[in-house]
Amino acid sequence: MEQKAETKQKFCGNCGNHNAYNYPEEVFCSMRFSENKNPIVPTLWCCEKWNPSSQECYCVEEAMKNKKSK
Amino acid sequence: MQRKDFLQEPVKHIKINGKLTVDQLIQQFKNSGSFGAGRLSTACDIYERMVRDEECTVFLALAGAVVPAGMRSVIADLIRERLIDVVVSTGANMVHDAIEALGGHHYKGHWLVDDYMLYKYHIYRIYDVFVPEEDFTKLDYRLAEMYGEIAAENNGKSLSSNEFAWELGKRLNDSNSILRAAYEAKAPIFLPAVRDSEFGFIHWLHASRKNCKNPLVVDAFKDVPEIINICKRSPKNGMIVIGGGVPRNTVQSAALASKKGMDYAVIITMDRVETGGLSGSTLEETVSWGKVKSSANKVMVIGDAMIIFPVIVASVLERLGKDFSRMPYLKHETPKAIGGS
Repeated sequence: MEQKAETKQKFCGNCGNHNAYNYPEEVFCSMRFSENKNPIVPTLWCCEKWNPSSQECYCVEEAMKNKKSK
Repeated sequence: MQRKDFLQEPVKHIKINGKLTVDQLIQQFKNSGSFGAGRLSTACDIYERMVRDEECTVFLALAGAVVPAGMRSVIADLIRERLIDVVVSTGANMVHDAIEALGGHHYKGHWLVDDYMLYKYHIYRIYDVFVPEEDFTKLDYRLAEMYGEIAAENNGKSLSSNEFAWELGKRLNDSNSILRAAYEAKAPIFLPAVRDSEFGFIHWLHASRKNCKNPLVVDAFKDVPEIINICKRSPKNGMIVIGGGVPRNTVQSAALASKKGMDYAVIITMDRVETGGLSGSTLEETVSWGKVKSSANKVMVIGDAMIIFPVIVASVLERLGKDFSRMPYLKHETPKAIGGS
């Protein structure tokens, strides 16, 4: 339950526009690329255009683990 | 035919010792002359004849995921050594070539794996090869930039897939790259189904970018006169087919359109004939279309190209020896790229 609530948080790492870039810390945002903005963003970042990904992945979970271990 | 005509050459039994070279093993296969062993030895003979025939242009048709599986350097080396003159490939194989040229890797994996777990880790599976998504993403990013550069340089002019492939090869700084080798050797490399690969997705990324006024235009129809012209100008043509699909038919159709038909053909496939699909169609069927001559030196080897093709190459290189050198026939004809019109 706790994990499910965590993945629903608004992060780039669970947004529908993300692809892995420097897993798990950074993702590539195709939306930002199309807008000529820097497309490489932190997995645990977020912008107003966030939309939930249709399938779950480990990006947020693993980025959080890494953050805690630092 | 009389009864005795069917019983001319006895099968000689394969003899193995610990010192056999690859070609010596192939010679043992030739002694047997049977089943896959016989076909493989015939394929080696035909490829040797192709490269020794000074009037022959050698085409490689490439389909199936052989580049991610480790065939990249073999093909790049053959292009550099001028033992392949023209490549016709799926877009996907060149995508995987570019992934490695940009520092990415393919990993040894397994076919028994939790694929949804791979999905959640952003890892793609090609049977027992794994590719991390970030290597694709980095390719997308870098190539989308390259597309912009190529489009700007060509100022709205459309490119054939060969010109497009050379533009990529020019920008990839990796001596093991097929695209780079083709660009440096000025060996034509056609990608007839270019949009059916990551190259197509990258085009969407590039073209949908804000303020992209002149997106890159690749016109696959431009390939048609280029490849037919190669077949026409070459006195003889030979093809090695890995897999089949669009690359095989692109090569064969060029031979048909130039009214020549292939003089040599080696096909390596595991596809079956009964579905009517091109990849499994026999060379005899291809003769009916006029795409391969009935008198051609030809063989179809049924097997995994990851095993068969490197064995053919190793055997033929051994036969040719270190001092052998070859210049494509059409290079003698013109200093321009042989795909030039």
